[in-house]
Amino acid sequence: MVAVPYNEGFMSCDRRQFVRSLFTGSMLFPAVLQQLFAEGGGDTLAERAPHFPAKAKRVIFMYMPGGASHVDSFDYKPKLIRAAEANEKAPNGRLFVKPPWAFKARGQCGIMASDLFPHVADSLDDICLIRSMRGDHNDHFQATLGIHTGSVTVARPSIGSWVSYGLGTVNQNLPSFVVLAPKLPYTGAQAWSSDFLPGCHSGTLVSSGPDPVPNLVRRAPTQKIEDLELGLLGRLNKKHQMSRPEDPALAARIRTFETAYGMQMQMPEVLDLSKETDATLKLYGLERGSTEGFAWQCIMARRLAERGVRFIELIDVGASDNWDAHSNIKSHEPLARNVDQPIAGLLKDLKSRGMLDDTLVVWTTEFGRSPHADGVDGRGHYNKAFSSWMAGGGVKPGIAWGQTDDFGYNVAENEVHVHDFHATILHLLGFDHTKLTFRYAGRDFRLTDVAGNVIKGVLA
Amino acid sequence: MRFFVALTSVVAVGRLFAADNPDGVEFFEKKIRPVLAERCYGCHSATAKNLMGSLMVDSGAGLQRGGLSGQPAVTPNAPEKSLLLAAIKREGKLKMPPGPALAPEVVADFETWIKMGAPDPRAEVLPPPPYNFEEARKFWSFQPVKDATPPKVGDPRWSKTEIDRFIKAKLDEKKLAPVGLASKRALLRRATFDLTGLPPTPDETTAFLTDTSPQAFEKVVDRLLATQAYGEKWGRHWLDLVRYADTSGCNSDYPVPDAYRYRNWVIHAFNDDKPYDQFLREQIAGDLLTATGKNAMEDRNDKIIATGYLAIARRFGSRNNEFHLTIEDTIDNIGKTMLGVSVACARCHDHKFDPIPSRDYYAMYGIFQSTKYAFPGTEIYQHAKDFTPLVEGKDAARLIAYQQETSHLDDRIEDFTAGREGKDLSAADKKKEIQALKDRVVVLEKNAPQVPRAYAVSEGTPTDARVQRKGDPKVLAEDAPRGFLTILGGAKLPPEEKGSGRRELADWITAPENPLMARVMVNRIWQYHFGKGIVGTPSDFGARGDRPVNLELLDFLAARFKESGYSIKALHKRIMLTRTYQLASDANAKNAQLDPSNAYQWRFDRRRLDAEEIRDAILAVAGDLDTNTGGAHPFPPETSFKYTQHKQFFAVYDNRQRSVYLMQQRQRKQAWLDTFDGADPNAGTAKRSPGETSLQALAMLNSSFVDEQADVLGVRVGMAFSTDAERIGYAYRLAFGRAPTADEVRVCTQYMADSRSEMKNSGLAADRQPRAALASLMHVLLASDEFLFID
Repeated sequence: MVAVPYNEGFMSCDRRQFVRSLFTGSMLFPAVLQQLFAEGGGDTLAERAPHFPAKAKRVIFMYMPGGASHVDSFDYKPKLIRAAEANEKAPNGRLFVKPPWAFKARGQCGIMASDLFPHVADSLDDICLIRSMRGDHNDHFQATLGIHTGSVTVARPSIGSWVSYGLGTVNQNLPSFVVLAPKLPYTGAQAWSSDFLPGCHSGTLVSSGPDPVPNLVRRAPTQKIEDLELGLLGRLNKKHQMSRPEDPALAARIRTFETAYGMQMQMPEVLDLSKETDATLKLYGLERGSTEGFAWQCIMARRLAERGVRFIELIDVGASDNWDAHSNIKSHEPLARNVDQPIAGLLKDLKSRGMLDDTLVVWTTEFGRSPHADGVDGRGHYNKAFSSWMAGGGVKPGIAWGQTDDFGYNVAENEVHVHDFHATILHLLGFDHTKLTFRYAGRDFRLTDVAGNVIKGVLA
Repeated sequence: MRFFVALTSVVAVGRLFAADNPDGVEFFEKKIRPVLAERCYGCHSATAKNLMGSLMVDSGAGLQRGGLSGQPAVTPNAPEKSLLLAAIKREGKLKMPPGPALAPEVVADFETWIKMGAPDPRAEVLPPPPYNFEEARKFWSFQPVKDATPPKVGDPRWSKTEIDRFIKAKLDEKKLAPVGLASKRALLRRATFDLTGLPPTPDETTAFLTDTSPQAFEKVVDRLLATQAYGEKWGRHWLDLVRYADTSGCNSDYPVPDAYRYRNWVIHAFNDDKPYDQFLREQIAGDLLTATGKNAMEDRNDKIIATGYLAIARRFGSRNNEFHLTIEDTIDNIGKTMLGVSVACARCHDHKFDPIPSRDYYAMYGIFQSTKYAFPGTEIYQHAKDFTPLVEGKDAARLIAYQQETSHLDDRIEDFTAGREGKDLSAADKKKEIQALKDRVVVLEKNAPQVPRAYAVSEGTPTDARVQRKGDPKVLAEDAPRGFLTILGGAKLPPEEKGSGRRELADWITAPENPLMARVMVNRIWQYHFGKGIVGTPSDFGARGDRPVNLELLDFLAARFKESGYSIKALHKRIMLTRTYQLASDANAKNAQLDPSNAYQWRFDRRRLDAEEIRDAILAVAGDLDTNTGGAHPFPPETSFKYTQHKQFFAVYDNRQRSVYLMQQRQRKQAWLDTFDGADPNAGTAKRSPGETSLQALAMLNSSFVDEQADVLGVRVGMAFSTDAERIGYAYRLAFGRAPTADEVRVCTQYMADSRSEMKNSGLAADRQPRAALASLMHVLLASDEFLFID
């Protein structure tokens, strides 16, 4: 044990307290900075209240890259099935494709859904299905940007960044916006970028590997050496700051080391599933010890949600080998198997812990798939109609909102444009989407650009 | 602010081929106009709520221009060349108007009328733009630069230069007392990072501290301005603005192996102190300017490379069919970067706050629509084309031929795939055809010419654009003759101009009477020196932007800038020799109350190093910086570029050169630069906004880069000296530009003892432990605020 002037008090309190004491607890620390810390000055992640009280406090946003088919999953189209069976051709001369999965009515609500997602279908009583989604672009890249940022051309802040910007965080040891994605989607990290919002609102990609967050793993050969380093660093910085009081950037930087240290300490605990019961793991379909697949992502989402993370995005696959079923729609099957039970497990788990009431769970993709063939048995991109769903956090459970025409080509009733979808999510969190703005390049930008209407019919 | 027109102004673009045909006009008025008004105007006029088919039948000009088909709706005297007639006869695919067909006698009237020469007295009447330009020109930024006399101030000794008098007058007016001067040490560190992005070396520090002459600081400024590092630092500012990247930004993020030439051109231009107006002119129209000098070929090439500014505009999609967005990106960047005006807002509608009608946007749009941009390849069309060879003769011809052949094959493959070609072939034959084309591509690629070329622009087919309603390229309204912004003079291309109009655009932008060019740039230079501009919104000098805190000073600087022949280096010197620049960064409670953001410069603002500076300073201090000029990136061979949106290009090329030479992608940001708030390669960055994040703290603590460089620095100080005290002293001089205090030596020496002792538990071999202990101390110094902040 070393006893030196630069780390006094080291052994007497826990590490976090220790770091805090190094950075902030000293009598040398100017009072004005203490004040700034208390008020969250220079710290844009401080917790903030939304525009009005709302049920949802956080979001788990599940995104399926490539374009998951609506007519094969949640949008039952008997006429399409019959036309396909009769080898009829669509108006553009292509053959209709028959959904390979049988549809039936589910639960108390009686909503029709196919066997593509059998577990999710069985949870429809807890879900608010939206069958009338519409986006602005038919290419993956642009549509992926669209569903994340509201813009199909140039990058803008992601919905998760807007939520972080609006609500701040309740746990300073973890990022406010976490992304679990084993592979990068079409737009790469732009899907969770804060763009012109302050950088602390960017999504932090957390992976299951040995380095879950970039540079998280301690590099110093022993913990004590890291403590020594942080101790000396705190001392040097404090001394530097004494002659430079009232500088919020210096104060904020000191705070970031505390957060980094906190993350270094807490992240392994978040990732450690050893205390999860067998029953819980079974709910998600996760084998003990496995850190792969959507089951791992879903249980991690619950754990992050429990620990105060505001926005958790789960992306199941990357820019290839995904839901982009051009040649054979049956390629949806293994992808669905990867996500189906875990999603249903997550909903059940949240519900049993009383968390579904204040957690908004969202499932979406960037666009749907054409009712007619593209390739032999596959379907093309289709942005004029697709299905998404929400659950928990203030939405009406057990309903199907909106509908498409007889073949699933166009929205026939209660259209939900991507902007409307975003406006509704923000509303559920307590925001007027027209007022959650950020001034950039002379303009007040918002997630919904100049559009978006809250879909009142889905609100509980 | 919004200006409405008091008097209705009518823009008449129509040709009155009716003037000498009174009978024809009467016929038109009686038989034709009522039918058009009743049955057609609803969808095909300037007042149509949703303009259909881009056809406007409310003027003779509109009828002759026709709609989306590109054919005239009416060709005088030629009924067979008048689409309108075919449509109302309902002969072809197009059957108009919707609803009941026109009576046969009405159709006959139209035919008669066309045979008469289609006399039509209607001029094209366009709704006037909703601004009174006369009034709008009174807005401060559109006013001519007024060369102000430096004000008289109470304490004349305070001012070192004329600039100081402007500053002091404002300080006096606001009752702010400026702080004292910065220490020489702080000033040297400030100036060195400011001009070169690097820390001063211990020798440079000693030289300045021991130079007691009154010109000591001036000598430093001159020395720094003459370094290569100057261009690497200030070129980076410009690269921020023009959203420089080494990839195209399309869905597959195609690499652009030749983009680096433009990057280096920018760096050299700063080092050569190229006059700013010429700097802009070459970027807009370098390929159209005359090559001069001893080595005319080199000059020609440099000027072509300069137009890389236009070529690096963002690319979109998987094909090339969203080129209107690339043009928008071009106009947006020119407007914001060179003029401080958000012109691109007028793409979809007349600008809501500034006097920029949509027609002005399309007047500029026509210029770029008439320009050929080098094409770097996309998912569907994988071969580059329209790059400009940087040699002449046979090699140039080989490159051009290769580009044409490969891209032509790409087109045909796509035509077959999309069913536009080979409609009558069986599936198997089609496959064969495609394979044959692909085989030819492979053969060509084997002999791909290795000819130096530029990612640049060249002249395309010159045509005016038409206004796109709501920014939709499929809804074309009136013609927008190529020209410049009305508020800045509204010049139009002279009729004898047969090119794109870029040469004229370059002249319009750099015209001495354009007040924005110089104002915007001097404000940027001021901002890069002081951390904030005299106008706080450096790329928006419009109604929504900030007002200048000191307009007289801004104009004084603009006037001096112009007077110097737009020498940027002269402006640096003028600014850095002021007392204002040399003030300390001290706090002052009273001033902080009155002017918390230091808008009036009562002190110098402390700042954190930016992303490049942190990396470069670490390398420099460790002695590991490779100071060579960066060249091309080690991309894979171009013939292997088969990127798709499913398998995008992604690479990281590490080096030890200045960070400006790191490969930067549009779609995936370079990790270090991204973590430390680097520029956005997708959109012009006028101002870095360094925020402190925990990911930065983690990078400083745990990244392999800092880890490695701490070790290199440890070896450097460890080899130079043998005692802890001497090593600590050297490390302080390298990193902080000063010797440590006795207390600091004591603390760091104690630290060395502790870390050496703890290293025994580290598992490292015994002979590695002292080195690791020293590296650990170096790591702390590199992560400390004193290293990362500039006073």
